[in-house]
Amino acid sequence: MNKTYKGFWLILLVSFVLFFTLSAFDSFKIGGMELKTSGMIDRLTRVPEGVEAEIETEQVSASVVEEKKPRVIDETPQTILFVGDSMLEGLYPRLAAYAAENGHTLYSVIWYSSTSEVWGNSTKLAEYIEKCKPTYIFVSLGANELFVKNIAEKRDKYVKNILSQIGNIPFVWIGPPNWKPDTGINDLVAKNVKRCENGSFFVSNGMHFDRAKDGAHPTRKSARAWMDSVARWMPANAAHPIKMNLPKVETAKAKRVFMHQPNEK
Amino acid sequence: MEYLWHNICELFSYQKDAPMIFSSGIFWVIFLMFLPIYAALKDKRKQMLVFVVAFSLYFYYKSSGLFFLLLVCTSLLDWTLSRVLVKLRSKAAQKLCVAVSVVTSLSILGYFKYANFFLWNWNEMVGGNFQPLDIILPVGISFYTFQSISYIVDVYKGRVQPTSSWLEYAFFLSFFPALVAGPIVRADYFIPQIKENRSATRDEVYFGFWLIILGIIKKSLIADYISQYNDLIFSSPTGYTGFESLMGVIGYTMQIYCDFSGYSDMAIGIALIMGFKLSANFDFPYKSTNLTEFWRRWHISLSSWLRDYVYIPLGGNRKGTARTYINNFLTMLIGGLWHGAAWKFVFWGAMHGAGLAVHKASKPWLDRLPNNWLVRSVSWIVTMVFVSFLWVFFRADSWTDSWLIVKNIVTNFNFAYIPVFMQVRYVWCIMMAVIMVAHAVPSRWWTSLGNIFVRSHWVVKLVVFVVVVQLVIQFMSEEVSPFIYFQF
Repeated sequence: MNKTYKGFWLILLVSFVLFFTLSAFDSFKIGGMELKTSGMIDRLTRVPEGVEAEIETEQVSASVVEEKKPRVIDETPQTILFVGDSMLEGLYPRLAAYAAENGHTLYSVIWYSSTSEVWGNSTKLAEYIEKCKPTYIFVSLGANELFVKNIAEKRDKYVKNILSQIGNIPFVWIGPPNWKPDTGINDLVAKNVKRCENGSFFVSNGMHFDRAKDGAHPTRKSARAWMDSVARWMPANAAHPIKMNLPKVETAKAKRVFMHQPNEK
Repeated sequence: MEYLWHNICELFSYQKDAPMIFSSGIFWVIFLMFLPIYAALKDKRKQMLVFVVAFSLYFYYKSSGLFFLLLVCTSLLDWTLSRVLVKLRSKAAQKLCVAVSVVTSLSILGYFKYANFFLWNWNEMVGGNFQPLDIILPVGISFYTFQSISYIVDVYKGRVQPTSSWLEYAFFLSFFPALVAGPIVRADYFIPQIKENRSATRDEVYFGFWLIILGIIKKSLIADYISQYNDLIFSSPTGYTGFESLMGVIGYTMQIYCDFSGYSDMAIGIALIMGFKLSANFDFPYKSTNLTEFWRRWHISLSSWLRDYVYIPLGGNRKGTARTYINNFLTMLIGGLWHGAAWKFVFWGAMHGAGLAVHKASKPWLDRLPNNWLVRSVSWIVTMVFVSFLWVFFRADSWTDSWLIVKNIVTNFNFAYIPVFMQVRYVWCIMMAVIMVAHAVPSRWWTSLGNIFVRSHWVVKLVVFVVVVQLVIQFMSEEVSPFIYFQF
C-alpha cells in the first residue's frame, strides 16, 4: 500500500481492533464512568433468529402461555399501578384507555433504561405502592437486559425482590418484546412469577412487532396492539383477571405519570 | 462460536432491514478491506475501474439485493444510447435517443416509486377498491435516475463526451459513496475525474477523514439521538404541550439537516479519500436570510440539478415575470414529489415554490431596506419560521397530524414548561445547543479546524476518531426521556 493511505488505514485498523476487543465485555469503566461497548462479538456469536437457544434456565415459557379455562373476572373498579421501562411509553396510553373504559384508575411510573436490577435494588416500587394504593399492578421490564450474560445468576435476586415488593397485590408482568433471542430474562421472570399465586407472566417473545427507528421499541400502533393482546389474554390466563372490555378510544391519559431518569437512584 | 460462520455470512449478505450505510459498523469493516486493494490498483486504471464498479455493485446488493441488476441494465441502456447518439447526424434521431433514455429511466422510477401513489389517487377518483401493489423501492433509485438523465442530456448538448467504455459509465453511475443518498453527481463534473484518475494527496485523505468524522457526529450522534424525541412528538401530536411540540418541530428542523448533511459529508469524505471530488451538498442552510438563499445552500446537488434540467428547459426567467414564477413553482413541485410519493411532499414543494415566487416578487422592495443587523435578523427569523413550518408537513404522517401539531403549538403553549423541560431533557437540549452553535459560527472556522486536524499527529487523529465512535456507541442505546403529560 502506498504511503498516502498507510497511515489512514492503520488508524482505521487500530480503531477496529480496539472496539472489537472491548466488545468482549458488556461495558467497561474509565474514571468511574461506565462506557458501553460495540457488541461486535455478541453480533458474531449470537444465536441466529429461528434457531432454538440452549438456555440453561428452566424452560417455562410454554407452560405460562398454555390455554387455561376462563376464570372469574373481577368486575370491580381497580386502582392500577403500571411500572417499568421505556416500553411503557407505548403501552400505558392504551392501558389508560382500557382503564377509562372499565372504570379503573391508572398510575404509570416510567423509569427510563431501567432493568430488574435497577428496580430490585431500589425501594421505589414499594414507595409507589404506598403512595398510590394500587389494587392491581402491571410490570413491563426486561427489554434492557435481553443480552446480559449469566442472567439467571445475576438477576434472580432482583426479580425476587420486585415480587416481594408487590406482595399480595394481583399483578401481570408483561415480558419484553424481544427483537433478538434473549439470554434468559424471559425464563427467569416466568420461573419466579410461576411461584406467585397472585401473578401471571405474559410472554411477549415471539409476537410480531412493527419497530420504531431504534429497532427495539414497538411503534405506537404496534404497542397498542401489544396491550390489546395482553387484555385479550387476561381473562383465561391471568391469576386474577379484571374487567378489560375493549375501549372505544385508542388512547387516554393516565391519572398521573411519574418519570425517572436512567441515572436516578 | 457455533454460529460464527452463519453470522459472518449473514453480515456480508443482503439483509432487507439493514441496508449498508456509512454509519453502520459493517461498512467500515468492509471499507477496511477495500482500501488496501484500491490503493494497490489506483495506478492501474482499468483494474481500478473494474474493482470499484464491482465493489459499488456489491454495496448496492447489500442495500437493495438483486436490484443491483436493475442498475446494471440501466447503465447498459444509457451507455449504448449515448454511443449511438453521438454517431447520429439527424437532430431528430438524436432527440429520439435522449427521449428513449429519459423515458425509460423515468418509467422505472415511476413504477417503483410512484405506481402505488398514482393508482391510489386514481381509485380515489373512480371509487375503486384499491389494494397496493407489492413494490419494493430500490434504495437510491431517485439519485441515480437523475444522474443518468443528466448524463444523456449532457451528451446530447455536447457538454460532455460519452465515455469510451461501459465500465467508465458504470463507475460514474454506481460510484458507491454517492450511490444511495447523493450528492447527485453530474456527468460533466465527474467523468473528467474518472479519465484523469488522479491520486489523492495525503492532505486530501485526512481532510476526507475529517469530513467523515464530522458526518458521524452529525448523523450518528446528534441526528439519531434527537430524532427519538422528535419521533415521539410526531407520533402523538396531541399528547404533548405546545412548548414540547414546538421543541419537536425545531428538533426535526435540526435533525433533518444533521442527518442529511452528515451523510453527505461522509460521502464526500470517502470520495475524497479515493481521489474524487464530489460537489458540496449543504452550505450552512439555516444561516439563510431568505428562501432563495436557502435553496442555494440546501441540498445543492438537487436544487442545481432541478435548475439545469427542469427550470431552465421550462424557460427559466427568459419568458417574462409570470412564466418565471410558474416555472419556479413547477420546478419546486417536481422537487417536492422527488422526495416521496405522497401529497404531503407535493404540498411541501408547492409551498416552497410559492415562497420563492413571493420572495422574487418582493425583491425590488426588499432591496430598498437597509442592510443592518435588525433587518437581517428579522429576515432570518421569517425564513426559519417558514422553513420549519413546512418541515412539519414534510415529517408528519398525515395532513391532520400536521395541523394538530401546529394547532397545539399555537393554542396550548405555556412558558412554565421551559425550565422543567430543560431539566428533564438536558441531553437533548445540550445536543441542540451544540449543533446550533456549530451552525452559527463562521464557516471558515470549520475549514481552519479541518486544516488543523489534517496537520495533527496521527495519535491525535486516532484519539479523535475513537472518542467520536465511542460517543456514538454510548448514545446509540440511550433513550430520550419523553415528557408525556408531565405534571408538576
